[in-house]
Amino acid sequence: MKYRVRLVSTTRYEAAAPRGAHVLRVRPREDDRQRVTGFAVEIEPPSALIVDGVDFFGNGTQSFVIEERHEHFTFRATAEVDVRDGASFAGGTTAPWEDVRAAAWASSHIDAQAPAHFLHPSRIARPVPDITHYAAQSFTPGRDIFDAAQELMRRIHADFTYDVDATDVTTAPADAFAARRGVCQDYAHVMIAGVRGLGLPAAYVSGYLHAAPPSGMPRLEGADATHAWVSVWCGETAGWIDFDPTNAILANESHIVIGVGRDYADVAPETGVIVTSGKQALDVAVDVTPVA
Amino acid sequence: MVKLAEPAASLLADYAPLEGVFDEMVDETGQPRAHWRPFVDALARLGRAEIARRADGAARRLREAGVYYRAYDQDADQAWPLSSTPVIIDTEDWRTIEAGLIQRAELMEAAIADFYGAQRLVRDGHVPASIITGSPDFLRPMVGATPAGGRYLHFYAADLGRAPDGRWWVLADRAQAPSGAGYALGNRIALSRTLPETMHELDVRRLAEFFQRFRETLTNRAAPDSAGVCLLTPGPYNETYYEHAYLARYLGFLLVEGEDLVVRGDKVFLRTVAGLKKVDTLLRRLDADFTDPLALNPGSRLGAPGLVDAARSGAVCFANALGSGIVESRALMAFWPRLARELLGADLKLPNVATWWCGDAAKRDEVIARFDDIAFAPAFLGHRNPLFSKGAVSGRDLAPDARRELLDQLARRGGDFVGQEMVKLSSTPVLNNDRFEPRPFQLRVFLAATENGWTAMPGGFCRVSSRRDPLAINMQRGGLAADAWVISDAPVGYRSLLPSAASPDLRRGIVALTTRTAENMFWLGRYLERADASLRLVRALAARSGERDHAAVAASEKIIAILQWWGALPYRQDDAVWPAADAAHHAMTSTDAYGAPPVLVRRALNAASAIRDQLSPDAWRIIKALDRQMMEGADAHASETYDRAERSLRELAAFSGYAHENMTRTTGWAILDIGRRVERGLSLARFISRLGVGDTTPATLEALLELCDSQITYARRYFVTASPGAVADLLIFDDDNPRACAFQAARLRALLDELPASARADAAKTFRESIVQLEASMTGCTPDRVDAAFVFKVEEAFFAVATAFSNLYLSDHDEGAGR
Repeated sequence: MKYRVRLVSTTRYEAAAPRGAHVLRVRPREDDRQRVTGFAVEIEPPSALIVDGVDFFGNGTQSFVIEERHEHFTFRATAEVDVRDGASFAGGTTAPWEDVRAAAWASSHIDAQAPAHFLHPSRIARPVPDITHYAAQSFTPGRDIFDAAQELMRRIHADFTYDVDATDVTTAPADAFAARRGVCQDYAHVMIAGVRGLGLPAAYVSGYLHAAPPSGMPRLEGADATHAWVSVWCGETAGWIDFDPTNAILANESHIVIGVGRDYADVAPETGVIVTSGKQALDVAVDVTPVA
Repeated sequence: MVKLAEPAASLLADYAPLEGVFDEMVDETGQPRAHWRPFVDALARLGRAEIARRADGAARRLREAGVYYRAYDQDADQAWPLSSTPVIIDTEDWRTIEAGLIQRAELMEAAIADFYGAQRLVRDGHVPASIITGSPDFLRPMVGATPAGGRYLHFYAADLGRAPDGRWWVLADRAQAPSGAGYALGNRIALSRTLPETMHELDVRRLAEFFQRFRETLTNRAAPDSAGVCLLTPGPYNETYYEHAYLARYLGFLLVEGEDLVVRGDKVFLRTVAGLKKVDTLLRRLDADFTDPLALNPGSRLGAPGLVDAARSGAVCFANALGSGIVESRALMAFWPRLARELLGADLKLPNVATWWCGDAAKRDEVIARFDDIAFAPAFLGHRNPLFSKGAVSGRDLAPDARRELLDQLARRGGDFVGQEMVKLSSTPVLNNDRFEPRPFQLRVFLAATENGWTAMPGGFCRVSSRRDPLAINMQRGGLAADAWVISDAPVGYRSLLPSAASPDLRRGIVALTTRTAENMFWLGRYLERADASLRLVRALAARSGERDHAAVAASEKIIAILQWWGALPYRQDDAVWPAADAAHHAMTSTDAYGAPPVLVRRALNAASAIRDQLSPDAWRIIKALDRQMMEGADAHASETYDRAERSLRELAAFSGYAHENMTRTTGWAILDIGRRVERGLSLARFISRLGVGDTTPATLEALLELCDSQITYARRYFVTASPGAVADLLIFDDDNPRACAFQAARLRALLDELPASARADAAKTFRESIVQLEASMTGCTPDRVDAAFVFKVEEAFFAVATAFSNLYLSDHDEGAGR
């Protein structure tokens, strides 16, 4: 499936900022499931120099400093991406989850995709006893890890209400879990906290979602802004499998990956340090169009 | 066996070492060990009363030197209590410790270099990847970067304990930003003045050379055109800020905070009053995660965006390198013996406490089988596990449900935990009510990387428990600090620990004054001067509180009006008039009126706290004492107001004396003085406008002369009752009177030469012109024609100088730099 995607984000500052330093993570990833055939970023006010980079986890970055006084900051990212059809897992058996756990802790892989990076508490997704106990109900002794993770995903989808007003970008997983409400970011963080609480590796995936799948399936949630889902390491053989708890499906050709990290903090589309005293208002629009 | 002198025997008579532990001072037979004997004899000679007197002296000196430890949950600084008894370490023991820790520092360096570089130890299976990734100090942006300066670790510390069999064990490694060396230095200075003869007799090794070599190594790597070595601190709210300021002063490094730094491209600069200055070497006391809100912790307000890129590119050397803290993980304790063989081809010379990492199922089952004999602890720093709110726990001490909870967690996420052998610490004597008592302790030893390899500080920082329980895991915060004396096998020469004329290069490195420091200096000057003026008003009012005379009452009311005008005293309902005594008392005890002396003194203290490294200990002590006087006087009786104001004014005068005599004539001093001069000019103008012009009386003029300390001069000059023209002449135009407006203007003009040149020509010109305007405002008028409008013009001119100064030196003016 080929797409043209466009992300426009504007932050307005109540008090003008004299200067701002920013890092963007909006370039879709290149991996064995998707190819990027075009990418461009524009920012406003302009910066003398935009430095392209790649962070530890392999996500593309654009770093720059805005040196002029400004009351709003806008970036527009456009990309053309070709995503391979089909779900992220073709089916079949995986290993019992306890074996996967033992393998993850003992692993001697330390490259960016190694499970060891995704086992531990991260800034936002720390194990929370309540969420661990909730997740444990799906991880019965000896159960195949894919089955267990899929059931957990479905339970979260069933038990939670999608609610854009219940949480914001800073909501802790424990609070979203207590309210059983939130958006894709909260669904993903809760699932990650649950999986990690059991000693298993789970990653946060940020991306775009094409909301109207071809075959007349129901419209998917999470297409108005950037989307987020969860990748669970299912052992050396099966590797990473992507679960979308907001829609209770495996990631498929509707999911366009931007970044992978331990939680939202690793893959936020924009990280900035600005000096301003007043409030800020953020406005984000995302547009995903299939192209022939 | 040598028989002890009688007094020594009595000093030791009731000293009973703890059951089953090694005692540092006495052997199994209760006799003092050879290397303690001169100390015990010396104390015996001094006698208990003298010992107690000297111990008090040491405590006082530490307090005076400002040795404070700020607990995060408390607003006030706390004194760090120093034991008057050192821990004495003999030559042989020290050789073992020194060799063991030099090897360990080399091991740590090699391991960090591998974890951030080739990662061979993980790939070859010598340590699981999950142990590296579990550390919150494994900073992923630093993977693959080569640290500037060719090494990660520059300063390393280890906590040691001595087992019952007499062997020393490493209990913990400190590689992030080890604290305590400055405290050790403070303890040594205090104690060396308490027991100078004994230190000499024992040939106690000095600490100065260690610090000199460390300083030289860092100084040599800072480029000559840079701002020199900067000590990066989280700021005054950090619990060890005192130590940062103390070390910065002692080593001659500039104390900087994140907001002082700015990254342009991949270069780091310091914001100074003379513009941006390059920085290439940072002694880091800020935890790495907080150094860069853009690349690391986005919630940090303590760092500067871009520092990680600058470190990656090699433009700046952090000592220690960002990410070095990774080797502090307890989980690694289980692997050091193996890693030592792998990296150094040798066994550990000094063992660390036996540790089992519970991420390995077999090891986990082993410690569960020995649950009651094991100390459990988080495998990594930064975990927030309520089971470990006090650090490690002994399996034996866990309540049934906590035990069940820990077993559950061990089953789910065993890798988050280690089991450790329960360590029993040795004991050392402390004086308690004139008696020696044994107390368990830990010793922190510091090592520095120099151009000739690692060197250990011969001494250390001891934490002595306040309880008798020798189990290391039961050591709590608090207790006492103690100095560690290492006995030399050769006579020890004298080497000063204090900066002195003999070491003129000590502060040579300091070439810059940061904008933040300048701002605090300026406001320190202004607040102190404003407090002085406020106290003078209070004193003048208190002195008139019994007056019935109509003219005197009218003068009091004018003083009250000034106090209200500048926020030292609230207005009353219906504009009712305050009785003089009540008004003076109210202003003197108010903690919320922004112009009242206690509030102004507290603001001065806050400004001073932020620039501790710039102030002499004496100057700091005076401000601290003044603040204490204010706070303690909150419930003083109205009848004490006059005396309290008088005493506080004396303290302020003492500060001026110190500022004059003891601060080197640096730019910082000039800026403090500019703050004072501007503020004094403003106060003078305000006093004169209310008491010296318009409907004056002899009573108002007398009050004015009193506020301006000028009665004697006036009386000597005129021998007559005050006249408005003569008073105006003395307080406005007389440039020989330190409390005349013209004198302040002349000082400001002279201070112009002390300030650094600025690259911003416009702002510099405005500032110069503001002083010319100020001088001009006092011309073209004879003293007898001075009126309110004239005085107002002078006041405005002083205000314009303050504004122009702020615009030139204190505003953020780094735009245009680096382009």
